[in-house]
Amino acid sequence: MLKLDEILVTRNWVGKPVQRQEDLRLVKGEASYVDDLDMDCHHAAILRSPHAHARIKKIDCSRALALKGVIAVLTGQEVAAQTKPISARAITRPATQYVMAVDKVRYVGEPVAIVAAEDRYLAEDALELIEVDYEALPPVVRLEDALKPDAPLVFEEAGSNVLMHDLMEHGNFEEACREADLFLKETFKVHRYSSTPLEPWAIIADYQKSNDAFLVWANDQQHGRSITNVCNTLGIPIHKLRLMVPDSGGGFGIKLALWPYIVILSLLAKKANKPVKWIQTRTEHLMAGSHAPDANVEIELALKKDGRILAVKIKDIQNDGSFVHTAGIYGLIKFATMVGCYNIKATKAELLSVVTNKGPTVQNRGVGKPTMIFVLERMVDLAAKKLGLEPNEIRFKNFVTPEQMPHTTPSGEIYESGNYPECLKKALELVGYEELKRRREAERKIGKYLGIGISAGVEPGTSNLGYYYTSRGTPEYTGNAEGAIVSVDYDGNVNVLLGSVDTGQGHATTVAQVIADMLANTPDNVSMNSHVDSLISPFLGHSGAYSNKFNDVDLGAVIMATKKIRDKMLRLAAHMLELDVSQLKFKDGKICSARDETKAVSFKEIASLAYKKILFLPEGEEPGLKEIAYYRNPIAKLPNRKDFNIQLTHSNSVHIAVVEVDVQSGMIEFLKYGIVHDCGRQINPGIVEGMAIGSTVHGVGASLLEDFVYDEDGQLLATTFMDYMKPLAMGVPKFELAHMESPCPYTLLGTKAVGEGGSLPSLAAIANAVEDALAPFGVKVTSLPITPEKVVRAIQETKKI
Amino acid sequence: MHKIKLRINGHELEHEVDARLLLVHYIREKARLTGTHVGCDTGNCGACTVIFNGKAVKSCMTLAAQADGAEIMTIEGLGNNGLHPIQKAFMEKFAIQCGYCTPGMIMSAYGLLAANPSPNEAEIREALEGNLCMCTGYQQIIEAVARAAEVMKDTGKK
Repeated sequence: MLKLDEILVTRNWVGKPVQRQEDLRLVKGEASYVDDLDMDCHHAAILRSPHAHARIKKIDCSRALALKGVIAVLTGQEVAAQTKPISARAITRPATQYVMAVDKVRYVGEPVAIVAAEDRYLAEDALELIEVDYEALPPVVRLEDALKPDAPLVFEEAGSNVLMHDLMEHGNFEEACREADLFLKETFKVHRYSSTPLEPWAIIADYQKSNDAFLVWANDQQHGRSITNVCNTLGIPIHKLRLMVPDSGGGFGIKLALWPYIVILSLLAKKANKPVKWIQTRTEHLMAGSHAPDANVEIELALKKDGRILAVKIKDIQNDGSFVHTAGIYGLIKFATMVGCYNIKATKAELLSVVTNKGPTVQNRGVGKPTMIFVLERMVDLAAKKLGLEPNEIRFKNFVTPEQMPHTTPSGEIYESGNYPECLKKALELVGYEELKRRREAERKIGKYLGIGISAGVEPGTSNLGYYYTSRGTPEYTGNAEGAIVSVDYDGNVNVLLGSVDTGQGHATTVAQVIADMLANTPDNVSMNSHVDSLISPFLGHSGAYSNKFNDVDLGAVIMATKKIRDKMLRLAAHMLELDVSQLKFKDGKICSARDETKAVSFKEIASLAYKKILFLPEGEEPGLKEIAYYRNPIAKLPNRKDFNIQLTHSNSVHIAVVEVDVQSGMIEFLKYGIVHDCGRQINPGIVEGMAIGSTVHGVGASLLEDFVYDEDGQLLATTFMDYMKPLAMGVPKFELAHMESPCPYTLLGTKAVGEGGSLPSLAAIANAVEDALAPFGVKVTSLPITPEKVVRAIQETKKI
Repeated sequence: MHKIKLRINGHELEHEVDARLLLVHYIREKARLTGTHVGCDTGNCGACTVIFNGKAVKSCMTLAAQADGAEIMTIEGLGNNGLHPIQKAFMEKFAIQCGYCTPGMIMSAYGLLAANPSPNEAEIREALEGNLCMCTGYQQIIEAVARAAEVMKDTGKK
């Protein structure tokens, strides 16, 4: 692997809070999100099921078609006739699902028909005129009900609502249990929530009759996989789909699931014979725009009396709703954080993916890891209480130490670097832990309930794709990689295309910083258009923005392509200056003689030779200055049930939440929130800070406010932002942040993940704080979200939240 | 159909509009000013905030017909003579990630600073209560608004 000094020739930009290149357009309102594209389009609206579970007996579209301004209507039957079913990834039982409901609907909000009309208002009017004859079926909503032997089946062909049931043991579990002095067991309920990007899903599809091809603009988050999925589903070759991703208003994993709608819109455009635009409404987004699944997780720790944790066992039951493409993933990915920051020798996991008549699920920020860290960090607190230890004390006893790095967990996850004890120490200092404890005692005496909650988490990044096939056999995808094209234009400026998309991460800025330091240049000489066009962008089968892979393989590809360019520029400069490559260096946007800096050629002069003065090129040298590189993470192992790494980098952090609970109203107020965070080498601290705080606020929403509540008939009760409450500027704490930098030895720049960041440890930090505040009442927090109602009830009656 | 005449960013516009047409759709589709966004349809997210007769208003909660005779400023109007201090402060403080909430946030901040030129942190948080940001967790946005207030006070800019 290249060393840092071989990559960066200057240190002027990497590590500095360089202002974002993206922002000028954004503050001026000049971005181009899909809905902003100025095109002559028809407009689509989707008829969605009002039932959670029902047979579709008949659909009559004649009245809708008769409405003036309506161009075309497409039903599930027609879609199914032209498509293959949705492919499954982790589940092991058969379950046939099309991108639109065919014979029956399986959740409230499932698409049943789609209308194209001259404008959106008319398209919505037309939905009212479509008559669907439903025969209601008994819905299965709660996990407990779905698991009953006589439960109604969501997919009859599966013969069960459990579509994946796996059991895996790693390390010597029996031996660990024999050595244990005590066992501690608890069941936690985690609810459904979503990171709800502010821009909902948006697609424009066009069918080009002359060459039988589709042109699509969509705010898709993982176009590499979407292209494969859409083409497979439509049964067309890849070159018949050109997918473009313009600006995207947030992703957080939620935009990994919009590809089925690209299929629907493509078919509608073909039928309407004109481009068709569909902009998802917020209600559609909340009903059918995918959630993180709700889950029941039973967790047991095997402990020594002194507080050492010997083994962890979980039984993880996921309510995966009704999207077969994602079902099962939330269980398997838990191995990435099964033992958290701790040196635990053995694990046992029973994983169940259950389908129900709730909405679809997708990989929401953190994918199952927030739940895993939540149950583990809750248990660590409960164990401390049981053993009479302080919450920090028990963590210090169990942390993987820096001396043990790289540390391999029982299932094969490799923690490459980090100083977990130091991170907790710093966090305790940051918030003034000892003083807070004194304050807590003093306030209790006057009837005020302050609580301190500690949570430590690993924050894995770069997915080793294919882990989700561990339950099925050979994966279709393995490892992780990304592509980049770097060119130096005629005028000497650097131009970059990346295989991935940007959903708010500031990729163009970060790339410009790295390239500037690789070429002794300035970031404003480097430009990257973050939009993706499948016709020209260097994408792979899984390209996109997910699992915090940017800092690893995306930058890796940029670095390797830039290195190729740099080597070629040196050869050309050597030829021009009649010197040897070894006598040259990069300086101030030029290449010059290391001895005599007046002997120099500018990038423009070099580019001029490469592009224009072909006859002056050195013998055998190819014209042009444009290089493509694909870069793969070097440590990914092939998934194997005994030994696999699900993710390939591991950041870590400690969160300490300090709350005050009003025991009359149940309201929870933040007094303080400290984060100490280690994501290896930071490229742009301004961006990192925003990610660390923003991801934590996702945890604040998930722990206290957001909940996709369904009634017993499977009706979703939170269909607008009035009922599905997001954190507001008023309710979030002012965060105090400190950073550590333990470079990752397996990424080129020593970087690690930062995007999912705070969404992992925050749930437990907040829950632990609330439980600590309510310690005088003996309340135990075993479910999320922690609503005021639950708090009051727990104090009065059950003692359990 | 209603005939409306209004000024957006200083330009006079005249259109026949359907009674049910929302102002945000009028601004985006008829005036083709796409910096004003739609994020929720229920007036919760504030991505559609514009300055309507001097006040920050959610244009998805307003009918186009109600804007007859109105003076409206959208994000595109704010930047007309170079960058406004609020826009500069958003860039300086890393208050932007995906950028979708940004125009609405900036317009709400503009509304706040017009009414209260030196807000404290709590006042800024309260003024932005009607604007959702899913990316930043608000902290850098709040810092940006405070910074803009300082600059505007120093330079006397409105």
